[in-house]
Amino acid sequence: MTTLTRQDLNFGQVVADVLCEFLEVAVHLILYVREVYPVGIFQKRKKYNVPVQMSCHPELNQYIQDTLHCVKPLLEKFCPGWAITVSPAAVLGPGWEPAILSSQPGPLSPKNDVEKVVVVILDKEHRPVEKFVFEITQPPLLSISSDSLLSHVEQLLRAFILKISVCDAVLDHNPPGCTFTVLVHTREAATRNMEKIQVIKDFPWILADEQDVHMHDPRLIPLKTMTSDILKMQLYVEERAHKSS
Amino acid sequence: MMLHGGQYHVYYSRSKTTHIIATNLPTAKIKELKGEKVIRPEWIVESIKAGRLLSYIPYQLYTKQSTAQKSLNFNPICKPEDPVPGPSNVAKQLNNKVNHIIKKIETENEVRVNGINTWNEEDANHNFSFVDLETPLPGRKQNVIPHPRGSAAILNGHSLSSNGALKTQDCLVPGGNSIASRLSPPDSAQEKNAEKSNTDFRDCTPQQLQQSTRNSETLRNPHRTNSLSPSLHSNAKINGAHHSTVQGPSSTKSTSSLPALSKVAPSVPSKPSDCSFISDFYSHSRLHHISTWKCELTEFVNTLQRQSSGVFPGREKLKKMKTGRSALVVTDTGNMSVLSSPRPQSCIMHVDMDCFFVSVGIRNRPDLKGKPVAVTSNRGSGRAPLRPGANPQLEWQYYQNKILKGKAADIPDSSLWENQDSAQINGIDSVLSKAEIASCSYEARQVGIKNGMFFGHAKQLCPNLQAVPYDFHAYKEVARMMYETLASYTHNIEAVSCDEALVDITEILAETKLTPDEFANAVRVEIKDKTKCAASVGIGSNILLARMATRKAKPDGQYHLKPEEVDDFIRGQLVANLPGVGRSMESKLTSLGIKTCGDLQHMTMAKLQKEFGPKIGQMLYRFCRGLDDRPVRTEKERKSISAEINYGIRFTQPKEAEAFLLKLSEEIQRRLEAAGMKGKRLTLKIMVRKPGAPVETAKYGGHGICDNIARTVTLDQATDSAKIIGKATLNMFHTMKLNISDMRGVGIQVNQLVPTNPNPSTCSSRASAQSSHFPGGSHSVRDLLQVQKAKKPTEEDSKEVSLAAVDLEASSARRTCTFLPSFSAHLPATISADTNKAESSGKWNGLHSPISVQSRLNLSIEVPSSSQLDQSVLEALPSDLREQIEQVCAIQQGEPSGDKKKEPVNGCNTGILPQPVGTVLLQIPEPQESNSDIGISIIALPAFSQVDPEVFAALPAELQKELKAAYDQRQRQGEDPTHQQPASASEPKNPSLQLKPVAVKDKKKSKKKTPISPPKKIQNPLKNMLLNSPAKTLPGACGSPQKLMDGFLKHEGPAAEKPLEELSASTSGVQGLFSLQPAQHSCVRPVAPNLAGAVEFSDVKTLLREWITTISDPMEEDILQVVKYCTDLIEEKDLEKLDLVIKYMKRLMQQSVESVWNMAFDFILDNVQVVLQQTYGSTLKVT
Repeated sequence: MTTLTRQDLNFGQVVADVLCEFLEVAVHLILYVREVYPVGIFQKRKKYNVPVQMSCHPELNQYIQDTLHCVKPLLEKFCPGWAITVSPAAVLGPGWEPAILSSQPGPLSPKNDVEKVVVVILDKEHRPVEKFVFEITQPPLLSISSDSLLSHVEQLLRAFILKISVCDAVLDHNPPGCTFTVLVHTREAATRNMEKIQVIKDFPWILADEQDVHMHDPRLIPLKTMTSDILKMQLYVEERAHKSS
Repeated sequence: MMLHGGQYHVYYSRSKTTHIIATNLPTAKIKELKGEKVIRPEWIVESIKAGRLLSYIPYQLYTKQSTAQKSLNFNPICKPEDPVPGPSNVAKQLNNKVNHIIKKIETENEVRVNGINTWNEEDANHNFSFVDLETPLPGRKQNVIPHPRGSAAILNGHSLSSNGALKTQDCLVPGGNSIASRLSPPDSAQEKNAEKSNTDFRDCTPQQLQQSTRNSETLRNPHRTNSLSPSLHSNAKINGAHHSTVQGPSSTKSTSSLPALSKVAPSVPSKPSDCSFISDFYSHSRLHHISTWKCELTEFVNTLQRQSSGVFPGREKLKKMKTGRSALVVTDTGNMSVLSSPRPQSCIMHVDMDCFFVSVGIRNRPDLKGKPVAVTSNRGSGRAPLRPGANPQLEWQYYQNKILKGKAADIPDSSLWENQDSAQINGIDSVLSKAEIASCSYEARQVGIKNGMFFGHAKQLCPNLQAVPYDFHAYKEVARMMYETLASYTHNIEAVSCDEALVDITEILAETKLTPDEFANAVRVEIKDKTKCAASVGIGSNILLARMATRKAKPDGQYHLKPEEVDDFIRGQLVANLPGVGRSMESKLTSLGIKTCGDLQHMTMAKLQKEFGPKIGQMLYRFCRGLDDRPVRTEKERKSISAEINYGIRFTQPKEAEAFLLKLSEEIQRRLEAAGMKGKRLTLKIMVRKPGAPVETAKYGGHGICDNIARTVTLDQATDSAKIIGKATLNMFHTMKLNISDMRGVGIQVNQLVPTNPNPSTCSSRASAQSSHFPGGSHSVRDLLQVQKAKKPTEEDSKEVSLAAVDLEASSARRTCTFLPSFSAHLPATISADTNKAESSGKWNGLHSPISVQSRLNLSIEVPSSSQLDQSVLEALPSDLREQIEQVCAIQQGEPSGDKKKEPVNGCNTGILPQPVGTVLLQIPEPQESNSDIGISIIALPAFSQVDPEVFAALPAELQKELKAAYDQRQRQGEDPTHQQPASASEPKNPSLQLKPVAVKDKKKSKKKTPISPPKKIQNPLKNMLLNSPAKTLPGACGSPQKLMDGFLKHEGPAAEKPLEELSASTSGVQGLFSLQPAQHSCVRPVAPNLAGAVEFSDVKTLLREWITTISDPMEEDILQVVKYCTDLIEEKDLEKLDLVIKYMKRLMQQSVESVWNMAFDFILDNVQVVLQQTYGSTLKVT
C-alpha cells in the first residue's frame, strides 16, 4: 500500500503523469480512427485493458512524445493553490505553425495552467476540419488515495478510449490529405514558463494562428465526460459543418 | 444587618468575607474553612444589642473539632398525612420568621453598630428581600430572639452533622428542629436544649406549631426508645427542605430529598414540580450558559458587522503604532509585500482564553493565583455522604463497559458491588463528590486534574485544590470584553464559544503590514489589559492549524504555525487533538493502532471512509494532513431549539410530570421567541431509568443509567406557542406510558425552524420553504434540506461585492443555487402594501431600497378570490399566512367586481415600473460584448411573478437594476406596440396568476414543476439586453430565436392557455416563488446540476419521459427549467450528459403528436445552442 503524505505528495505530478499517458494513447488512436495516417503504420497494442492502435512511425511518435513532454510541466501546475489571475488564454501549437494570440476568452473557473489540449485535424489548406478537445478542469474535491483511485481513473479513461475508437460513427468523413497539430489552451502566464522549457527541450512552441484555431461553422459533438477525485475532463469534437468545402 | 453596616455575600469569597455565620456545618466545610471565622448567629444579634462589635471568639461555632461524629442518615419518605409537602409553604414560614428577627432587631436596637462591617452568607439577602414581602405578625415578636439561642445550644453539641449544611440564621428555627429530631442518642443537655427550642416554637404559625409540637413529642418519646417514628421522619424531611433553601449551591451534599423552592438561594436540586425549577435549573447550568452565550456573541458579531462603518479603531491604532516605528521598516515591508504574491496567504487567528472560568473566577483573587483552582459547584472536601440506594461503582462499571463495547452494556450485577463503595473515611459514610469541574487552572492540570472530572476525584488527586464557584455574570462580561476587543480590529470573527473565537486576520495583516506575531501580541496584551485574564493565540493558514497552534501556545502564549512547519507539526499531534475527534472516535482510532496524525496519514481515504463514513473519513484524511478549507463563518444556521433537563428529575405523580412538561414548553416558547423562530417538528426525549439500575443515582440528582426514549411529531404548522407545543408534548408523553418515578430526564426539541418575522435575511428562504411544505412532493423536502445545507449567509457579502465581482459571484452562485418552491411568507405584507403603494413607488424611483423592491414585487402575488381558495389548503397554511389571506379575501369580497379588485395591485405594479427604468437603462452601460439577441433574455426571464422578492432584494443593486430593466422591457414587448397603456402592462402575466387550490394539482406535475429558472440565471441575457435596449432596437433586432420565442409566448399567451397558466399559477403561487440561494462559493461544494432534484441521467430521463408523455401542453416554467438544467450542464462541463439529454428529448418530443412539444424542443435547443455558442464558440450537432 503506497501512501503519500502531504510533503511527498504532488498532486500535480500524479495528475500530469496520468494525463500525459492517456493523451499519448488518445492522440495515436485519434490519428488512427480519423485516418490521418495510413492504417499500415499502426500496430495493435493493449492499454487500459482494451485494444488500442499505436503508430510505429518513429518520427511521428517522437513528435507526439515531445509535444506531450512540453505539456506535462503545465499540467503539473494542476494543483490547488496555483490560482493565477484570469487572463485571456493563449493558444499554442507546436512546431512550424505560425502564431498569434487567440481572442477566444477562456472560461472563468479553472485554476490550472492548461485548459484544453486540442488535437486539430487540418485539411490540405491547413484549415481545421475537426478538433478533438480535451477540456481539463479541477474536480470539485481534489484528493489522492492510492488504493481504488488508480483503477477507478483507469476505468474512466478506458471509457474515453472506447469512445474515441467509435467516434467515426458520429463524425463525417474527413477530406483526403489531412494533417494534424496539437494546440494547448493555456494561460498567458503559463506561456512564459513554457518558453523556458522549450529552450531546454529544443522543441519550440508558438502561438497559434487565428485561422488554425477558428473553425467555420463548428458543430459540437460531446464524446465523454469524467469526474474523478483527481481530475475532471471532458472530450468533445468540434466538427466543421461542411468538411469538403 | 445591612442597616448596621453589615454586608451579606451570597457566595463565599475568601478575600472579602470576614465572618462566616453558621449554626451547623458539614465536615467538609469545617475543614475548608479552617482558619476562617466561623461564628454563630447570635454574635450578630448580640452585637447589635450591645451596640458595638463584640469579640467573635466566644461565638465561634467550632472550637474543638471532633471527627468522630455519627453520621445521620434519614430516609425521606413522603408522609401521607402531610397534605402539601409544598416547600413553598415552609419557606414562607421561614421567611416570616426571618422577618421577625429583622424586625425585632430593628425595633429593639436603635443604636447602630459601627464595627460590624461584613456579614457572611445568605442572611442579609434573605432578610431584606423578605422584608417587603411579609407582614410581620406582632404576636410573635418576643419569641423570635430566643430561637437562635436554643438551637445554637443544640448545635454546639453537634457541630458535625453531615447532612444539611446549615449556615444561616434563617434556618435556625427549623434547623433546630431538624437537628433535634435527628439526634438519636441525645445526651441530657441536648435533650433539654431541644425541648427548649421546641417550646420556643409554640407561638409560631399553626402549621409550624403543629410541627414543633410534633417535634417535641417525637423528641420525647423516641428518645427513650431510641427509635425514630415515621412522624419524625416527616419532620426531618420538611426541615431538610429548609436546609436546601438557604443552603444554596452547596446543597449538593444535602440529604434532603425535598428541595425547597428557592427564589433567593440558588438551589440546584429544587423540585422539578416547582414553578421556578426550570428557570433555576437554567440559571445554574453552565452548559446552558455557555451555549446561550455563544449564540449571543455570534449575534453580537453579526450586529457589529451590520453596523460596520468600515473603520476599525483597533486597526487604526495598530497602523499608527506601525508608522510610529522607523520609516525604514515600513518601506521594507512595503517592498516585501509588493514582491510577494498579490494574494496574501490567508491567515486565521484562533484566540482562546486560558482556563476561562478559573481565570475569571480568580481575577479578583490574587491569593489564588498560582494555586490549583477548580471551578465547580462543590465547595467542600469533595465528599458527599452516601445516599442509600446509590451505587456509584455500579454506574461507573456500566459506563466503562459502555465505552469499551461501544454500546449499552448490561447493567452489572449489583450484588457484586454492594457496599464496597461506601468508603468509610473519617467515620463518615461518604463517597466522592460528583460535582463536575468546569474548568481548572494549569497548576491543577499538572497534577492530572482535567476539566469535566468529578470534584471528589480531583480532590483526591490534589488535596489542596481550591474550589471557586461559578460567576456567570463575570464570565459574560469578560467574554463580551474579549469580543469587543477583537471586533475593534475586524468583524470577520467566528464566535466559537464564549471564550474562544476565530478571526480571519488576512486583511488586517495586509493593511497594517504587521507580522502575524506582532498582531497576536498586540491583541493578547490588549485582552489582558482589559479583562485581566490571559488569552492564548494560535495562528495558522487555516482554522484547523490555528486551533492546533493555540494548543501549543497555551498557557498565555502565542504560536504562529508557519506553512513550512506544518507537516512536521501535524505529524506529531495526537489524533485526539483534532477537532471532531471525540472519545469514541479516539478509542476507535486507537483500536486501529492510530495515535498521532502521522499514523493517520498512513491510512487511505478509502479506508477511513469505510471506517468512519464518507464525511468524517474525508475530514480525518484532510485534517491529519493539516488541510482544512472551512472559512471563518460569522453566522451559523440555527437548526433546532431545544430545552432538556436531566438533572434532578424525580416525579412522584403523573400530574407533576405533566406540569413539568408544560413548563418546559414554556421554556421552549421563550427560546423560540428569543431566536425569532417557529418550529414544526417536535421531539420529546425522555430518559428513563434502565431496568435494574439503582433507584438512587451516584451523582445526586443525576440521571444515572438510563434508557433514552424519544417520540417525534410534526405539527401542521410551525409554531412557537407553548400551548400547542405543550399539548403535542403531552400527547407524546401519554403514548409512552412510562413509570413516572423512573423518569430521569426530559427534553423537548423543536426542529424545522422558520423565522417568525419574515425578513430578507438568511432565514427567509427557509420560511418560504417551510410554508411550501404542504403541497410539496418529496422534492420540496429535499430541496429544503439542500438549501439548509447549502445556504450560507451571503447576503452581506453579495451586497459588498463590487460591480466587477458580480459576474463571478453570480456564476458561481448559479452552480450552487438550489431552488426552493416558496410560497412567499410575505404574501400578507404584500397585500398590505397596497395601501402604501404611493409611498413605495416613491422610494422605488429614488433609492432602490430593498424594502421597496420587496414590497413592490410582492404586489404581484395575487390572491385568488375566496371562492377559489381551497379550504384545506388554507388550513394547512401557517396561521399567520392564513390570517392574512383571509383578511385579503374579506377585502376582496368587499369589492364589487372581480376585475376591479385587481386594479389597485396591478396599477401599482405598472405605475411604478416603467418610470425608473428609463433612467436605469441609461445608467448602466454594460461593456459586455455579446452576440446574442434579446430573445434569449426574455425567454430566460422567469415570469415576473415568479421572482422571489427576497432573492431580488438580496441581489446586488446592479443586478436588481438589470432585472427591473429586463422586466420592463419584457412588458413593453409582451404588450402591443401601441404602448399607450402602461397601466395594463402587467396584466397578461398577472391576472391569471392565481393561487389555485393545491388539491387540484396532480402529483406528477407538482413533482415536475418544482424549480424554475431563477433571476440569476437571466444574468447574461440581461446584459445583452441592456446593451440593446438603449438603442431601442428591440423589435427589429430579433433573431430567429426571438421569433420563435415570440411565437411560443403567443402560444402560451394569456388568453389562449388559461388552464395552463392556472396550473403554473398553482405551482408558482403556492410553491413556485423560487428563492435562489446564493450559496457561498468558497465553502460549499457546488450542487450538481439537477432537474427538479434529479442528477443521475436515468432519473432525469424518467422525469422527462413522465413530463412529455403525460402532459399535452408543456408549461413555460417547465421548459425554462429544462433549459436551465441544460445550461447548468454546460457550465459543469458535462457536455456528454447534455448531449444525451438533448437527444432523448428530441426523440420523445418529436415523436409527440402535439406540435407544442416540437416547438418546445426547438425552443430548448435554441437556448442551449446559444449558451454553447457563448461558451464554446460552437453549436451542438444534433442528428
